[in-house]
Parts: sequence; C-alpha cells; structure tokens
Amino acid sequence: MSLWVDKYRPTSLGKLDFHKEQANQLKNLVQCGDFPHLLVYGPSGAGKKTRIMCLLRELYGPGVEKLRIEHQTITAPSKKKIEINTIASNYHLEVNASDAGNSDRVVIQELIKTVAQSQQIQSSTQRDFKVVLLTEVDRLTKDAQHALRRTMEKYMATCRLILCCNSTSKVIAPIRSRCLAVRVPLPNTEEVCSVLTGVCRKEGLLLPAELAKQIAEKSGRNLRKALLMCEACRVQQYPFSADQDIPDTDWEVYLRETANAIVSQQSPQRLLEVRARLYELLTHCIPPEIIIKGLVSELLSNCDGHLKPEVAQMAGYYEHRLHLGNKAIYHLEAFVAKFMAIYKKSMEEGLDGMMF
Amino acid sequence: MSKLSTGRKASSSKLSSWVEPSFGDLFSGSGLNSFTLKKGVSSGETKSKSQTLNPNVSGQRPSKRRAISSAPEPQPSLGSELRSESHDEPWVDKHSPCSQAELAVHRKKIEEVENWLRIHLDVKAENKSSTILLLTGPSGCGKTATIQVLTQELGCRVQEWSNPTMGSEFRTEESFRETFDPDSRFNGFHGVSQTAAFQEFLLRANKYSRLQMLGEGVASDRRIILAEDLPNQFYRQPACLHDILRRFVRTGRCPLVFIISDSLSDSSSSRLLFPRDLQEELAICNISFNPVAPTSMVKVLSRIVTQEAARSGGRVSVPDKAALDLLCTGSSGDIRSAINSLQFSCLTDCSLESKLWPVRKGKAAASGSRGMSKARSKSKTSKGHEIQDDSQAIGGKDASLFLFRALGKILYCKRESCTDSEWPRLPPHLAEHQRDTLLVDPELVVEKSHMSGELFNLYLQQNYVDFFSEIEDVAQASAYLSDSDFLTSEWSSRSTMREYGSSVATRGLIHSNSARARANSQTSVGFRPLHKPHWLQVSKKYRENCQAAQCLFTSYCLTPVSLQTEMLPYLTKITNPYRKMAQIAFIQEVGHLPLRKYPGRMKLEALTDRDPGTLEVDSEEEGAEPIGPTPSQGEPVAPEDSTLSWSQGSEGDPAAAQLASQPQPSTIQALLDEDDLVIEEYDSN
Amino acid sequence: MQAFLKGAATQSAKPQKDKPAAGTCGEKKPKSVPWVEKYRPKCVDEVAFQEEVVAVLKKSLEGADLPNLLFYGPPGTGKTSTILAAARELYGPELYRQRVLELNASDERGIQVIREKVKTFAQLTVAGKRADGKPCPPFKIIILDEADSMTNAAQAALRRTMEKESRTTRFCLICNYVSRIIEPLTSRCSKFRFKPLDDKIQEERLLEICEKENLKYSKEAIGALVKVSEGDLRKAITFLQSAARLNGEKEITENIVIEIAGVVPSKMINSLLQTCYNSTFDKLEIAIKTMIDEGYAAMQIISQLHDAIIEEKLNDCQKSAITEKIAEVDKCLADGADEYLQMMGLCSVIMQQATRNN
Repeated sequence: MSLWVDKYRPTSLGKLDFHKEQANQLKNLVQCGDFPHLLVYGPSGAGKKTRIMCLLRELYGPGVEKLRIEHQTITAPSKKKIEINTIASNYHLEVNASDAGNSDRVVIQELIKTVAQSQQIQSSTQRDFKVVLLTEVDRLTKDAQHALRRTMEKYMATCRLILCCNSTSKVIAPIRSRCLAVRVPLPNTEEVCSVLTGVCRKEGLLLPAELAKQIAEKSGRNLRKALLMCEACRVQQYPFSADQDIPDTDWEVYLRETANAIVSQQSPQRLLEVRARLYELLTHCIPPEIIIKGLVSELLSNCDGHLKPEVAQMAGYYEHRLHLGNKAIYHLEAFVAKFMAIYKKSMEEGLDGMMF
Repeated sequence: MSKLSTGRKASSSKLSSWVEPSFGDLFSGSGLNSFTLKKGVSSGETKSKSQTLNPNVSGQRPSKRRAISSAPEPQPSLGSELRSESHDEPWVDKHSPCSQAELAVHRKKIEEVENWLRIHLDVKAENKSSTILLLTGPSGCGKTATIQVLTQELGCRVQEWSNPTMGSEFRTEESFRETFDPDSRFNGFHGVSQTAAFQEFLLRANKYSRLQMLGEGVASDRRIILAEDLPNQFYRQPACLHDILRRFVRTGRCPLVFIISDSLSDSSSSRLLFPRDLQEELAICNISFNPVAPTSMVKVLSRIVTQEAARSGGRVSVPDKAALDLLCTGSSGDIRSAINSLQFSCLTDCSLESKLWPVRKGKAAASGSRGMSKARSKSKTSKGHEIQDDSQAIGGKDASLFLFRALGKILYCKRESCTDSEWPRLPPHLAEHQRDTLLVDPELVVEKSHMSGELFNLYLQQNYVDFFSEIEDVAQASAYLSDSDFLTSEWSSRSTMREYGSSVATRGLIHSNSARARANSQTSVGFRPLHKPHWLQVSKKYRENCQAAQCLFTSYCLTPVSLQTEMLPYLTKITNPYRKMAQIAFIQEVGHLPLRKYPGRMKLEALTDRDPGTLEVDSEEEGAEPIGPTPSQGEPVAPEDSTLSWSQGSEGDPAAAQLASQPQPSTIQALLDEDDLVIEEYDSN
Repeated sequence: MQAFLKGAATQSAKPQKDKPAAGTCGEKKPKSVPWVEKYRPKCVDEVAFQEEVVAVLKKSLEGADLPNLLFYGPPGTGKTSTILAAARELYGPELYRQRVLELNASDERGIQVIREKVKTFAQLTVAGKRADGKPCPPFKIIILDEADSMTNAAQAALRRTMEKESRTTRFCLICNYVSRIIEPLTSRCSKFRFKPLDDKIQEERLLEICEKENLKYSKEAIGALVKVSEGDLRKAITFLQSAARLNGEKEITENIVIEIAGVVPSKMINSLLQTCYNSTFDKLEIAIKTMIDEGYAAMQIISQLHDAIIEEKLNDCQKSAITEKIAEVDKCLADGADEYLQMMGLCSVIMQQATRNN
C-alpha cells in the first residue's frame, strides 16, 4: 500500500493528465530519433519527474521502471571520499549532485563518465545512448555547471542528460543554450480537481467536487501536495463531507501561530519567543528559506496595505542574505525584528491618527 | 623558607632574579614535600616548570598569592621548622574524606550512588547480573572520593584498573615480543595490547575473587570493579569498548563502575564512549555529578584549615573567611584544586604581604561603601588599563570567565559621561546617534575573549535581546548582526573579514542600544543571566535531521525541500503501515511540532563562569580557538595560579575585588555589582 | 597532436556547437547533424552581413598575407563560421586538418595548454603548396574560440607565443567581449566587430532552412524566432530545429517558438505592469504567484520587464529607480535568492514609483 502519489503516478506519456500537448511533443521528440539534452523546469509539484519518467519509458520501454537505489562512493582528486545515493535502471541513472555540496563537480564528472563509458547492457534497444538524469540542477555550484557544460559535449555520443530544476534562473546560459528547454507549469485548479477525483474513484471513494476544489486551492496547485492532502483528508474523515477541514501540516500551523505572535505584540521579549519558535521549526527540518517565505506571506496578509511594499522588499533583502550568510538565524531574526519595528511604528501612527 | 621570604622582598624591585632562588628554595628547602605537592596538583609538573621558565609571569604571581592567602595578621616567622611531617603528603590525600559526612558532594547524589551500590552488591550470587554504573561530572567534583567512601562503608573491595605502562604485569608477553619483532613496533600494537589487557582484566576481576586471606570475612565477596582511566584506544574506537562491555554484561558477576570526567575541552568523551543507545542497551546507570557547591566547599576547606591549624600549632597561616570564599570562586567547583590552592596559600607567608593586605582591604571597603571612593576608582577606569587588569585577573583555569565578562562588557556597555561643551555635537538631524564615550574597546574585548569573532557573535546573538528595551533598537542591532554574518560569509576572504565582522557586530550592538546611549541615562538593567548559544545545536540538529530524512526516504525520489516540507509532514497525517521502524520513528520526531503550546523561552544552558567558549563546534563553523591563556601571554593554567591571579586583579580594581570575594555562582552577581557600582558613581557625578 | 585531432573530430558531431562539420558528418546518421552545422556557411562569401571582415578575408584568399585576427561580437553572429569557412577555402579539406588548430573553452586551456599545445602546433613548419598543387599560404591558423574565458595568465602566455611564431602561424581569437582580452593581445591583432544580424537577413536564412528541410511554418513563427533570438542566428536555428523535432509533422507556430525559447509572452508582462500601476498589492501578489507557478524563470521575467520599463511612459527618475532595483534583483537571483520574494521586491518598487507622481 503505497501512497496515492506513487500508486497512481502515470507511467506513459499518453496517460499524463495534463499538458497533453506537451506530452505529444515529447513523443514526437522520441520518435524523431535525434534526442537532444533536455532541461525540464517548473515549480515543485508540477509533475516534472513524472513526465521525465514517462519519457524514459517511451525511450526504453518498461525496463526503466526497474529501479535500484545505489550508494556510490566517489573519490575526488583530493582523495576525499564522497558518498552519494543514485537511483538507476539499466538505461538511466538519476542523481542529485547537489547533495554532495561543494564536491558536486567531481560527482557529476565521475558519474557521467562512468555511465558514458559503460556499454549498453542490452543491445536490443534501439538507443545508442544512456540517460543521466540530474535533479536540482539549479542548486549546483557554478563550478559544477561549467564542468557540466564540458561533460555534456564530451560524452554526447553515448549519453544524454536530462536536467531537472525549479527555475532556469540559476542555470548558466551555456547550459541553457545546449539543452532543449521544456517548461512544466503547475496544473490549473480544474486539472488538479480532475486528478483528485480520478484518484479517489480508483480508490473507490467519492470525493465531493467542493472539497476537491478546496484542496486544489489550498495546495496552491501543487499536485503532490494536493494528493497528500486528499489522502490525509481520507484518514481524517470518511465519507468526505464538502465542508471538511483540510488538515494543514504541523509546520504550517506552527508558522502561522508564529506570525500571529509577531503581529500581536512587538517587544524584545516576544522576539525571544519567536526565536525559540524559529529554532523549533529548523530542528524539524524546515529550511530557513521556506520559513521566511511562509512568514512573509502570513505577515503580508496581516498588515496594512501601505506597509506591504516595504515588508516585501525587506523580505527579499533578508532572504538573499540567508543564501549568502552562514548562520540563518541572524537573518531570520533581523527580518522579524525589523518587521516588528515597522509594524509597531505604523500601529502607533495609526493610533495617533485616530486620536485626531 | 626564610630565604624564600627574603627573596620575595627583593622581587618587587628585581623581578627576574628572584624566581630561581625562590623556587629552587622550594625544591631544596622543603624538598620532597613541596614536590609532591606539586605533583598532587592535577595540572602536573609541566606547568610549574613553565612558571620557573617564565620569570616575568611568575614575577607577579607571588604577590597575588599573598593577597589571598594572607591572614589579617602576619604570621611570625615560619622558618625551617616548617618541614614537619604534616607536610609529607598533599592535603588532598591527607584530608580525603573518610565518611559520607565529609564528602563535599550533594547528599542526594551520594544517596543515589549508595542505593545503586547496595542494590547491585547485595543481589544473590546466582541471579547476579553484571551491571555498569557510569559516574560523570567535571573534574574534582568528588566522584572518586564518593566511591571510595561508599565502598569503605559498605565494606566491599575495589578492584581498580589502571592503564598498564611498560613492564606492567599485563604486558609482559607483548612487550617481550615487541622488543624482538621490529615490524610490530609501528602498527598500533600498543593500543591493541592495552585493549586486550583491559578485557583480560575485566575477565579476571570478574571470575576470580581474590585469594582468601586470613581473617577476611564473608564480606569480601562484595566487590566492585572500578575503571577510571581507560586505554586510549577506546577514545579512537569506542566500538572496541562497547564490544567488551557487551561481553562483560553477559558474563560478569560484579558491578563495574566507570568514572569519566567531562573535561571542559571535550565534554563529549563520555558521550563518545557511552552513547545513549549503548546506555540503554546495557542498562548502564548514569549518575552525573555537579561541581561542588560553594557552601559545601567552604565547609570542607574550613574543616581542613582548622585541622591543619591545630596540628601545625600556628605554623600554618590561617586564611580568613574571605580568602576561603575567594578560593572557592577561583576553583569553580573543583574541590581538588581548591584544596591544593589552600595548601599552597597556607604555606606562604611574608611580611611584604602584610603590607599589601590592608591596602586591599581598604579598597574592598571603599568599594563596599560605593560612591565615596569615586575619585579613586575614577582614576583607575582608564580604558586600556582596566582591560589589562581584567585579563590578568582571570588567568588560569578561568579563562572562560572572561568570556562571561567580555559579553557583559559588550552588553552592558559602560559609557563615560562627557559634559564638556567643547565636545563636538552631532547636527540635529543626527542627534539620535549621539553617544557618550565608550569605556570599553570592543575589539580588545573580543580579542581577549580568546574566541573567534563568529563564535563571539553567536554568544552575543544569544543574549543581546535581554539587554534591550525597545524593539526598534533590537531591529537595528539584529541588522548589524546580520551584516556581520554577511561579511564573513565568503570563506576565501573570511580570515580578513573576520575582524571587521566582529567589529560591526559588537559596535553595532553597542550603538543601537539607545537606552544606554548616555552614561547618566544608563539605568540598571538589573541582572540578566547569560546563556550559551543555542544555534550551534539547532543547526547541527537541522543538518542531521535533513540528512536522516534523505537517507531514510530515498525511495520517494524527492528533492530535499519537498521531502521535508510536503512529504514528511503529511506522512504524519497518513497512517501507512508499510514502513520501516526507523522511518516511523523519524516521522514521529520530525513531522510533529508542538502545536498550541507557546514554548515561551527555550530551556537554555546558562553560561556560567565555568564555561569555556568552546562548544562542540561543528564542521561548518569555523573552529573556535581553544580558550585558555596562550603561552605568549604567559599565564600558566595551574589551578592555584588562577586564584592567585585573581586577587592580583582585585588589587587593581575594586570591582573585581568585589567580584572575587563572592562565592561561586555569584560571578554573575559580581558582574552586575560591578556594573551597578560604576553606574552609581557616575550618577553622583 | 593526433589525439587532439581525434578529439576535435568526435566533438564535431555534436549538435549546437559550432565545430567544423567537414569530413566528419559521415560518421553519424545524417539526421542527427545539428542544423547549425549543416547550414554553416561553406565559404566566406556565404557569410551574411559582416562585409568588413569578409573583404579582408577575401583579400587574403587571393594571396595576401593574413594578420592575426580578433573577432568579437555577440553570440551567433558568425564569428566562428567565418574563420572556419575562410580556413576551409584556404587549405581545402585535406590540408585543413593539419593546418588548423581549434581550441574552445570546453577544452582545458590553462597556461600549460597554451604553452604546450599551441607551441608544438605552431612550431611545425609548413610548405606553401597544397597537395593538389594549388597554392596555399605558408602559415597555420590557430583558432581560440571563446578567448574571453581564458585566464589572464594564459592570455599573457599567449602573447609571447604569438610573437615568436608569427612567421608560421596566425592566430584568430574569438570572443564576445573584447574588454576581457588583455591589451597586449588586442594590440597584436586586427580587430573586427561582428554586428548583431539584421532581422531581415536572419529571416532569409531561416526561410532557406525551412525550405530545405521541408518544414511547415507560419509567417508569425519565423517572426517570433527572429525576435526571441535577438540577432543570434545560431539560437534561431537551434530553436527552429527543436521546434521541428517537437512538432513532428505539424506546422510550426508562434506559440511553440515562444515556448521553446522560454520567453514570457509579452501579454503577461504587460498585464503584470498594469497590475503594478493600477491595482492593489494583493492582486500583485497573486499575479506574481501565477507567473512563478507557470514556471517562468524570474531571470527571464526581469529581463523582459526591463525592456518593457524602458519603453514605458514613466519619467527618468522613476525609470532609474526601477532599473536600479532590477539590477539588484538580478544579482540576488544569481546568488540563489528566492524568485518569488525577489519579484515581489521588484514589483513593489515599480508600484511605489508608479504611484508616486501619477
């Protein structure tokens, strides 16, 4: 009994639920035989990975679904051992090189080299190349990206790359220009609804249209999230009712409470409480970038219109710092403190305004 | 000894010449006595050597020593008769407690240990399962003494392991082979043999009771195995130890007691050797001791003093109460070092000291009646001078104390009022940035704290909020901290930027605290406890958890972010039976957040003067330089020195005298007092 | 030497790289040859739009000496194609391999490589005759593609080599930014700037390819191609080929071209701007969220916003404030900052600026 997300994942290009036109195009691409490097990008939960797996199946047949998780050890020139998990079938190899941190360049070069130099195990397939699927290319270091560009050319004969990322902003131009870019947008609300309903039907459940719509909206069109939410709803209450509460994740609730705490009082003491809550979130694996993003959207909905632009800019400023700095807490705290200060000021001004 | 005192008199004028004679005198004069004394001091000979080698430093020491040790009335000549039997062994050994009442350990702890021993000793032989007790605690908190006293009282024998040295009984074969086999010399043979010997020891101690001696009763059946120092190999490969212990638990028949000191530098050694899972697996009972409380320490010290005074018949100078308090504070809970210092200080006596003593007293009195001594203290608060004094005042063991005070200096930021109209004022639109002259030099403070700027900043970040009253100021201060982190973010330029980073942070913090902008507007913020930075733990935990998540849930093929923010939190909401235990445990731990519960403030580890700056600094962080006086500053780390140098500081600085004369945990208080003291002086300005 | 040539030969089969296609395309199935290679100009005369350099090269083809060359200009304007075509004409297919050394940024090009490879190659003397008896110039050509990505040290090393080997070797440096080539090198070369291709010429070329490949296309699609490629013919041809691959037998439309190029439809950009001008912050939030959800890269959005802002009816003060913020956001994005928050920051500045005077 796997999760719905995995259980009902489409496995062929023809069965994809949305962006069908694009699916057809990809089919054409496979058929024309001349397969370029691909750069698949789009927000999280849009089904990039699903689409890529479908594409691979189209290329190699069902053999690509026999996956095995491998733990590879790569030795860097500096004799440093790097351990990395890869997921591979006979035809392709998936790796998230950004896991290796600063050594990602070595990982990429070594892995692609190994794949490109090893012979195709089954000669029966018509393809004379293997595929290396690199996820989270946007989190690679610039160094690794430049290395990638070289590697791409060098092993073109025996190996194709499929790069997967959330945004092309952080992918260097030479790589972008060497790949065929495929944009995968999030499904729109209706599409999410229909997928949810379809999945529920297959589970033998009846999903009210209103609830489906609510889930779709609440998930922010993120299909993975929507499916998980739907399954959580199922656990919480069945039969479904149209006005059922959709369970939030704990961290989202926690973050919302934190935002409320910030808005309800602005004092050094409160800041300390907020700090404790931030620590709590961090120890529960919520990345600082997600925390600040969540905070911003909660705070924005809580403050006056004239403050919003300032808050937005502040958030951008400190989020940037977050990426450059070492210790996230400084920047998170600075953001919170700053927000408290300007919020307090505007509240006081507001009060003054009411007095007159 | 008389020669010693004369030599010392000369010392005031000629620093370098007296050291050799005086120490030489110590060695030759009191001969073996003083030497054993030195050995008894936990820090060992190397330090005392460094004293003799460094005339400059030790040149100041005797005077410090005098200050604490001296009695109000100068004792008449001690002369050569000092060499009496009473000095044949260090007081630590001589006065080692022989009953529970004499132990300086907290009652409850003793009971705890006693109960454990009783339970595990009295079990009948057939169902006697071997059990392990682990005693942890800082050095000199009475762990070993407790075991000794209790075993004595319970009438059981102790079989103690000690690391074999060359030619020891355990190594005969090995050492023999080693001498003849050149190959085996360099392949870690030594470590292996120690480990093997340890195992052997456990086995033997376990199996065979000692030969029945004549007249020994049945009670001799009760025995425990004690292991205080462990083969080094175990520190490198704790797994070895674990294996041995597992075997022992299976076969063993008598209790095994481990005593591990959490030394300040690596408090993790007990965690390394006895990780939690092992403790659970083998049902190891862990009793951790706290540093000796100042009250009980004073009690012990005064007991010793009275005994000694009675025995020596006036040859021992009896320190007064204040001096004892001072000793307690200086030793910060380490009773062994306190007793050592006591012995040392009681030995000394000279007339020069007696001159100094009243002066110090006078100063202390002056500081007691604050305000009055305005003029005098004023003259002493010239910046550089003060800091100089501070760093000397806290030498030796309490290098960390300076961290505590360094933080205080930044956070309480003393200022000097400048009422002079000649001082250029800032133009009106910048008037809010007007600040009075700072009395501290932040860069110097950071430098003297012996830690990297980044780590110091973490300490500041942990504590600064409490010292602010306006959120606007906090916002500004936090922005400075953010800047500082930003400045040091690039590793390639970090070494150069580090100093700027810490300047930005410290000065930024000081500047942005507008409530403390003026010397005379500085109201007392009252006492604020300081804490250790929480961030290091948090970030470590964060990384560990992220890694664990990645490892445990590889099969989902998700990016870390979506795994951590989408998959895991929802997995907690979805019951899914087909999962591994580890996964379920992890989901339970990470996925759930304590909702509807305002944590208020986190449980924090209070920063006391005993804490050094070094936490376990993880790989990401730049390692903090180990705290402690560097040789260049010539402050040896011998415990007795610390107390000595303390009182030196107190001569120069009434506030520090105040500080020094407080009992142990009150350094916090002392810091505050110091602060208050100064403030009041300015108020009356 | 031999190894190098082999390397070059295998590399040349790869698509989307401007490499000599001559003599190597036979190894691969013809369909997998990138069109960029397939339709590379075969002779200097075919080079479009760069009259100046063509004239110089032609002269040298007629027997005059060739100076050291430095080609610079935006990507896809035919720099590499020009020199390759010229070299081929000079030496013919046989001698070409012996006489031309091509190095690009993909090859290792530290000081060491410059010293070793270039030197050994340059030191071989050559005759002034071709095998077939035709005259050919008594020098070799070393092409250093993407020279601006060479380290300064390597460039300095090149300076000496260039002088020493001037008797037998001509260098052709190719780069995008002439400012990144050290002064001593530029002064030793005759510089030629390659202009961005005229829309019209691009269109002609594209149509020609469409014709030869039997593609179905709409007029707008070609227009869009020209527009998104911004004077970069290589980009345009690559896009065209991608579109053809994706589309199978169907007609190539404007939409698909825009999609492949990853360009945000100008309609969206305009509506975003309108939201900034006239609407509330909440609406703006939603608009940005939607754009990000659609998968458009923030980099692309801001570069298009930038173009749009320049054209907008705002006063200089407002424009400068906005463009300054754009620059800042660009930097932040490059550092890896969150796209949504950065876009919010930018748009709130636009909003503030727009409401200031209006």
